[in-house]
Amino acid sequence: MDASDIRLLSAGTALPGPPVDNVTLARRFGMDDLWQQWIDVFIGTRTRHLSVDLDTGETVVSLADLGERAARRALSAAGTDAADIDVIVMGTATPDALMPATVNEIADRLGIDQIPTYQLQSGCSGAVQALEVGRQMLAGGGHRNALVIAGDSCARHFDLEADLRSLPPAELVNVVLFGDGAGAAVLTSDPAPGTVALRRVMTRFTGRGRAPGQIVRWFGQADRAGRAAGIGEAAVSEDYKAIEESVPEMAAEILAELLDSLDWKDTDLDFVLPPQLSGRMTARISERLGLDTAEEITCVGQTGNCGNALAFFQLEEVLGLLGRGDRAVGIAVESSKWIKAGFALERL
Amino acid sequence: MTTIDEFVSLVQDELGLDVTPEDVGRSLDELAGWDSLHLLTLATLLERTTGRSLVLTDLLEARSLERIYAVAVGA
Repeated sequence: MDASDIRLLSAGTALPGPPVDNVTLARRFGMDDLWQQWIDVFIGTRTRHLSVDLDTGETVVSLADLGERAARRALSAAGTDAADIDVIVMGTATPDALMPATVNEIADRLGIDQIPTYQLQSGCSGAVQALEVGRQMLAGGGHRNALVIAGDSCARHFDLEADLRSLPPAELVNVVLFGDGAGAAVLTSDPAPGTVALRRVMTRFTGRGRAPGQIVRWFGQADRAGRAAGIGEAAVSEDYKAIEESVPEMAAEILAELLDSLDWKDTDLDFVLPPQLSGRMTARISERLGLDTAEEITCVGQTGNCGNALAFFQLEEVLGLLGRGDRAVGIAVESSKWIKAGFALERL
Repeated sequence: MTTIDEFVSLVQDELGLDVTPEDVGRSLDELAGWDSLHLLTLATLLERTTGRSLVLTDLLEARSLERIYAVAVGA
């Protein structure tokens, strides 16, 4: 069947722990009011949820925990039984382990077996990439229902002993930007009336010859022993200036391309789901998009930047708002190696 | 840190910005590489060095390194 007829039945999400506001975060790191004021003004993210217990420093929630909860919510909202899922696709930059893949841990917990499962190594465009793999698997025939999951947990990078006064800006920014979370969605090839069609999905690598905007390294036994090259490098670092400069323009290009491919005008859009970098950056991007007549669906102020999961928080909200004939566009940019991603929805 | 020259050294050494004493009066917009994260890093360094608490709104009104120094030392 035509991929543009694949339906998005539901989305579900999960967050660990209570919301952590900027005052709490600042105090936990021994920082003062000035630091908290700076996050308010320059990051614009009010809260995030963390898989780490801030009192004990222990990781209390795994990515599999979050993915399982999100998947159960999505399945319940879709009215789909786990036994009816034919394929699972997951995206994450922060799996619980490199092997086994977290997608298979989640499948096991859901009682799912004997179906193909895929896990993508992905960042902020991961939800869109996973949606597209699931959508194409259904369009290709042989599968009827796909469960798509995406999420991230920065617990292993959240060093509560770090002296933030001595961190370089490229690392400091990560402490305030990120949160943990997971999302899931159910896709189907059943074209039931009144459901939401996933009209278009685009995901494209655009980073040829370009330095990464974000790097997340991983370390093994030789690294632990201090023998491997690069052991002194930061586990996570961002070229935040390149991101600030490039992402608004890339988002505008993605929007234009999606609209053009569908022969939609920007005034046809009822909702827009912009990239969720931080409260402040998302506001800048939205200003650049200039979609005055479309309602913006934004979550990053409350969830923090939870990477792969973000689009599902936006999808969960917009699915409850889309009326018959309404249209929405979602946009994501992965600055790691500069991936453009986006999707278009329409309720029939 | 008691002089503006020591302040310039702090900016050079801790922020890695290539500034000279002649740059302190320039608008921050003219300082190559300057951004809001440098403001945060510098402000926390100044609080530690001077022992004085700073308020972000005061620093946001300071549009040059010279003015930030003045806020930090209470001049």
